Amino acid sequence: MTHSLRYAVMIVLLLFFTLPTLWMLGTAFKPAGEYVGTGLSLLPNAPTLEHFISLWQQGVGQRLVNTLVVALGTTALSLTLAFLAAYALVRFRFPAQLDRMFLLLVLVVKMLPPIVVAIPMYRILRSLNGLDSLPGLMLSYQVYTLPFCIWMLLGFVRQIPVDLEEAATLEGAGLFRRLTRVVLPLAAPGLVATLIFAMLLAWNEFLFALLFIQTPSNFTLPLFIATFATENQTYWGELMAIGVISSLPVLILAGYLQRHLLRGFAMQSH
Amino acid sequence: MFTKTKMATALLGLAVSVAGVAQAADLVIAGRDDLMGRALEQSVAAYQAEHPDMDIELLKLPYGSLYEKLVIGMREGDSSFDLVMIDDTWATEFMSQGWLAELNEDRVSQDFIPALTDISRYPVGQGPLYSLPVVGNVAMFAYRSDLMDEPETWSDVIAQGKQLHTADRSGVVFRGTQGNPIVTGFLPMLWAYGGNIVDGDGAVNFDSPETVAAIRDFVSLREIAPRGIEVYNSGEVRDAIQQNKAAMAIEVWPSWVPTMDDPELSQVVNQVEIIPPPGEVNASTPMLGVWQMGVSANAENAAAAEDFLAYFTSANNQRDLTLSLGLPPTRSSVYSDAEVVDTYRWYPNQLNALRQGAPRPRINAWQELESIMGDYLQLALLGRITPEQAAQQAHQRMAAAL
Amino acid sequence: MFRSGWQPALLLAPALLLLALLTLYPIAYSFVLAFTDAEYQSDALTFVGWANFNTLLNDWFFQQATWNTVRFTVSASVVQVGLGLLLALLFARPFPRRQWLLPLFIYPMMLSTLVCASIWKAWMHFDFGWLNNLFDAVGLSRQPWLSDPALALWSIVLVDTWQWTPMAFLILLAGLQGIPQDIEEAATLEGATPWQQFWHIRLPLLRPYLFLALLLRSIDTFKLFDKVYVLTGGGPAFATETLSLMAYKQGFKFFNLGAASAIAVIMLVIALVLSLAYAWQVMRRPT
Repeated sequence: MTHSLRYAVMIVLLLFFTLPTLWMLGTAFKPAGEYVGTGLSLLPNAPTLEHFISLWQQGVGQRLVNTLVVALGTTALSLTLAFLAAYALVRFRFPAQLDRMFLLLVLVVKMLPPIVVAIPMYRILRSLNGLDSLPGLMLSYQVYTLPFCIWMLLGFVRQIPVDLEEAATLEGAGLFRRLTRVVLPLAAPGLVATLIFAMLLAWNEFLFALLFIQTPSNFTLPLFIATFATENQTYWGELMAIGVISSLPVLILAGYLQRHLLRGFAMQSH
Repeated sequence: MFTKTKMATALLGLAVSVAGVAQAADLVIAGRDDLMGRALEQSVAAYQAEHPDMDIELLKLPYGSLYEKLVIGMREGDSSFDLVMIDDTWATEFMSQGWLAELNEDRVSQDFIPALTDISRYPVGQGPLYSLPVVGNVAMFAYRSDLMDEPETWSDVIAQGKQLHTADRSGVVFRGTQGNPIVTGFLPMLWAYGGNIVDGDGAVNFDSPETVAAIRDFVSLREIAPRGIEVYNSGEVRDAIQQNKAAMAIEVWPSWVPTMDDPELSQVVNQVEIIPPPGEVNASTPMLGVWQMGVSANAENAAAAEDFLAYFTSANNQRDLTLSLGLPPTRSSVYSDAEVVDTYRWYPNQLNALRQGAPRPRINAWQELESIMGDYLQLALLGRITPEQAAQQAHQRMAAAL
Repeated sequence: MFRSGWQPALLLAPALLLLALLTLYPIAYSFVLAFTDAEYQSDALTFVGWANFNTLLNDWFFQQATWNTVRFTVSASVVQVGLGLLLALLFARPFPRRQWLLPLFIYPMMLSTLVCASIWKAWMHFDFGWLNNLFDAVGLSRQPWLSDPALALWSIVLVDTWQWTPMAFLILLAGLQGIPQDIEEAATLEGATPWQQFWHIRLPLLRPYLFLALLLRSIDTFKLFDKVYVLTGGGPAFATETLSLMAYKQGFKFFNLGAASAIAVIMLVIALVLSLAYAWQVMRRPT
């Protein structure tokens, strides 16, 4: 592609992906009278912090902490188990195609609509004493995050040249050492991408949180967000403000981790 | 190193959540979000001031989520909620399944509008009392009194709507969204035309000439409605009428419109009249949509729940909630309070509508019937099927569902 | 390849056990209920054989929902992976402020789906929507984005593309890094044009990631629910009704668990058919 074409494509895509976000940001600071209009202005005429203050007063802080705990716990558990499983599936030959059977089973799990999983899952959690608790919620989220992480990591682990590991073995490294010193660093870009997606899955999950949590102070963000787009009215200012607030932690995390994602490029460019 | 961080976060998660499990509250309430949620919140705060030792938990949920959560909790026999808020159309299911506890009869004041306490009983009007009406919602009709005369009949609505329909302001507005929303707008019309969904014995009786006539006129409203009416819901209806984009709204619920006369949010202050819906063959039968609250059959704190319910529905508290939030009351005395009427001009009309109001059919499968009807109504609205086909096919499907 | 023994089993066991604990009962539960007339509120249960499936397969609404879901899945996943590939290629080469632009491009997927759907609901309003205001300003006519049955499904494809292209983008971006620099340098020295380089070197090496992105995006788009629920409720005239929305209504509004499970089973079959080819490509061992 020529230089100017590259830039033109880039700008069009940039507008498409950022204008709605800008509108969200603008609306989060708009007073109620400014929501509805026929103009093209994305930014508020008379910016206000009232929506953020109102969210704070309604206890957004506690929910944010709950969501953070659940998302981090879910992701940590899924990534660890999936990394080990993906490594085993790539590096070892299983008899009778068991590895493929396992992968297909995992895929089926991911395809099931949450609606049919929810009621049996409720009973499983109750028998494990996991209702109305954040660890219980983390456990139930594995149904979606674990299959996802296994499938994601499969390709990224496979890409790692086996000779590096063989060299480490010759130097006397055991399995654990190979995993942490050789495979983990080389799989970092894939792990980071997987981590972000798994976080997002847990961060935005609605149905299980609704059904399995009872105490208001244990609730996560998605349910709280839903109360601003009600049957009768959408509270645009508060809805967009909570949209901004709830997306910031993952955005910060992704921004911090992107050097791992772009690290490969850094290595290439010198 | 990676794994250490993970372990630490997992442990942190466990620690925080264990710390977060407080001892059981003295009263757990589940209710709606939005206006009703604010009303509950305000009342809990006031009640708490009188009972400082009590630990009250209030859960506010959107409409569909509240239903799902309550049904699953009740069915699985978990006693997580003591006091629950339910919509009019769920009441039959909750009461017939034995999910609500019988209330003490002396809680029923004569002050409650009788049509409302009737549907708090199961069977309707005769059986024991399972709930108290907490929100006096009834489907009303809104029109611009500065532009037109009060419409007497639905034919009149269509005729005046055609005259008033312009590019900037449509003749009518209603909820056209597929499924349940489109049905509530249509039902007052169906009843006015003499049609019915189920007969006295609870059998489906939808396919009739009256129904066809009602559907035909309902479909003709699309020509004098805003573009995009097919995806309008309550928010769009309220915006259209408040932003001077429609001359009539065929279905308006009192809890949607407390801001109608607020100059900050409304461009039509004092120009909208809210009346019971027009008649046609029959006189108008306003449709009730009363929210109720009852004590869960598994409640661990039943006494506290009943006591709070009595406080919540007291005349004083209803008056406060009406004046501060615009929550429609369920007691006659609040409707005749001078200050209340002064704030909401249409309250005398609303009281009349509530007194003459009729509930939707008292059947367990109502949600399903409503959804089926909504699907066919929208196909008719878009001209994909004729009104005759809509009546006939919806009838068959509803009969199969029952 | 390492010699087998107890190690692979040990590595796989935790994931396997956890998934078994969490999913065997739900899977069995929905497969059994699909052949019954189960309603959640009552204990009575009769086996009805294939009756649920017969009713569904002969039902116009169900056929419509299936057709919508398949059209949505195929078009949305292909568009998203295509756009994601374009973005990944643009970002593969260093340029000024790349680090600052990357978060802007992946931001949409970090939004709550409800917020995302609400933004677009506001944007697609016929009278007040920003999109139509823009169309007005540049002299195009206002579009009934969501209320025209012929347009509504594609409008939702647009919304989903906005939110989830970043996922395909990130997968392909991470995948692009696996391409050893020396292969590309060698190709450049041999005089390959950028296009030849892309077509003969990068694309074949990216293949597994393209299939992975297609697989993951098509599974997600196949379960489309929230956006439809917020934007159109399945209308107008069933033009955007999806299988997930139908299963939700049957399962959680009417609590007809038999019918809901039957829909889920059919969904599973279609999803497997749609994605098995991709899945096979991802599972294929490198030769």
